[in-house]
Amino acid sequence: MGKASFVIRRILQLGVTFWAVGTVLFFMFRLMPGDPTSFIISPQMTPEAREQVIASYGLDEPLYVQYVKFLQNALTLDFGQSFQAKAPVQEVIMTYLPNTLVLMLTAFAIAYFFGITLGVLSGWYRGSRFERSTVITALVARSVPSFWVGLMVLWVFGAGFGVIPMSGMSGLGSDTQSFWQMVFSVDFLRHLAAPALVLAYYFMGYPLLIMRSSMLEVLSEDFVDVCRAKGLKERTIMFRHAARNALLPIVTAAAIALGYAVGGSVLIETVFAWPGIGREMVRAVLRRDFPVAQGTFMVLAATIIILNFVADLVYGYLDPRVTYD
Amino acid sequence: MSVLEVENLEVYYETEEGPVQAVDDVSFSLEEGENLGIVGESGCGKTTLAKAIIGILPDAGYVNRGQIRFDGDDLTEMTDAQRRRLKWEEISMIAQSAMNSLDPVYTIREQITEAIEAHRPGTGRVESTEIVTEMFELVGLDPDRADDYPHQFSGGMRQRAMIAMALALEPSLVLADEPTTALDVIMQDQILKRVNRIQEEINSSMLVITHDVSVVAETCDRVLVMYAGKVAEEGPVEEIFNQPYHPYTIGLKRAFPNIRMPDQDLLSIRGYPPELVDPPEGCRFAERCPMATNRCYEEEPEAHHINGLRSYCHYADKIDEELRPRADDAETWKQTEAARAQTQTQQPGMGDD
Repeated sequence: MGKASFVIRRILQLGVTFWAVGTVLFFMFRLMPGDPTSFIISPQMTPEAREQVIASYGLDEPLYVQYVKFLQNALTLDFGQSFQAKAPVQEVIMTYLPNTLVLMLTAFAIAYFFGITLGVLSGWYRGSRFERSTVITALVARSVPSFWVGLMVLWVFGAGFGVIPMSGMSGLGSDTQSFWQMVFSVDFLRHLAAPALVLAYYFMGYPLLIMRSSMLEVLSEDFVDVCRAKGLKERTIMFRHAARNALLPIVTAAAIALGYAVGGSVLIETVFAWPGIGREMVRAVLRRDFPVAQGTFMVLAATIIILNFVADLVYGYLDPRVTYD
Repeated sequence: MSVLEVENLEVYYETEEGPVQAVDDVSFSLEEGENLGIVGESGCGKTTLAKAIIGILPDAGYVNRGQIRFDGDDLTEMTDAQRRRLKWEEISMIAQSAMNSLDPVYTIREQITEAIEAHRPGTGRVESTEIVTEMFELVGLDPDRADDYPHQFSGGMRQRAMIAMALALEPSLVLADEPTTALDVIMQDQILKRVNRIQEEINSSMLVITHDVSVVAETCDRVLVMYAGKVAEEGPVEEIFNQPYHPYTIGLKRAFPNIRMPDQDLLSIRGYPPELVDPPEGCRFAERCPMATNRCYEEEPEAHHINGLRSYCHYADKIDEELRPRADDAETWKQTEAARAQTQTQQPGMGDD
């Protein structure tokens, strides 16, 4: 079987996964205690007005009709109207998602660049003081909660030295026309630095430890001896051969971790008051704003599902031994 | 002239219990175009010896004493850069379990070209393609398959690809560490014949490291028998296998099936080689030797030259009347210290399992 049919099969699987996630989401929020209408309906309303509001959101229809409609609309990426913001959920998502992505991708890129490099070096220089200190650093990074580190950083550098802004994405009076213009402004980078570095430090431990153990495994293989016997330069063996082989398990791990990173943005966004999708999701759940909660959940789930798919494809490219049967 | 001269070589491994003396006072030389087999059981130091010669000892391993002279220059005195230049260009290897000796993520061509480029920078694509094609034809592989990845090759093909790579730069010395262990006998025979032919063509010497006596018989001119890090005996293949002068070689010979005497029972040498962290005084084979005397436990044997052989046994000149007539008798091999120790520990446990 060829690569094309593998991709097609995988895409069909994606469809099934999305349907399952959507179904779980739909019923999960309906089974949750708490009446969503309590937030949008004021006691002063007449019964007629109340029914009218409920009907306008489609909440008066039987559950299975709501379910089918939900799935139909989800296909067109329409998750309905926010109860709270009185705006389409799509719009809410598009406001907050880019903020999260900028923060997470920056942190992720920093973390994986340094994590992989340090992992390669610590695997190569096994038993050295360098290896011990990087492993300890990685373990500390993995074990200390990122929100605590975030708070400490805010306390020391924000409140103490006053070198970083305390919250948000942009300072007062900053005035930028487009999203990209904002992203490349100095003010934004000043706000981005602290949360991105705190997250990068937290993320870094994972690729570092995986890369190190993967390196140790690869270095014990015979072909490394052959590379050394071939008279290749040490750096060539370390990166071109050993690291290239050791990289394979990182790819899947990284794709999945990136999904979780986007999904797990809640804590750090809350600490740094970063207007991202994680923070918005929590707020939506607290207000029983079903459509927004469903929409944001769906986005986070989609990130994980799609990145898994990408990991599969990339793996096939990186490792020629992967077959598509 | 000797291509390779190893003199009083000691290779140790650093461990927590102290240095392991993996290769201890080994000397031999290898002439141009000659093939020397190194045989011995697992852990006798033969692979360590090869790694020390090519210069790929693991971090814990080091040359404690002695010289490895290649074309007269001592390799142990060279800088890393100097040694790197000799690797593959002059001394290459066919690795143990060649099945896993190729990097799985690069094509065979890429890996051979890499070796060429590392030593002859500026070799054009045309020229390296020519070399790959030529080597593939020599080892009996289809040159069109050079762009395949190692996993697309069968075991025998991978082995041949490894050999093609090892000989691509026409080195003057090839170290073959268990070159055919992973292959079936027919493939083994084919490959060994081919290697020998290519070798004659490029006039290189070869060190064949193996525990398989038949491989040595087929490819080598001389044999060096190692036991527990030391040389037990050395000499021309014919003499070593017909009339060895070391009890270990005699025991080893009896442990292999003989095609001319199919009914003969195989005898094993009782016991295990000694620990090399704190090796015993005297002859290292003493415990497992049916001829051992007190002298063997106390005094380290010197080289005895008999019949063109070099035997490290105190009683080499008495082998003919002492051991040889009794060597085919299983009882003889039960008369050793190791055999007695084994029966003693076995007795209380009998019936338990």
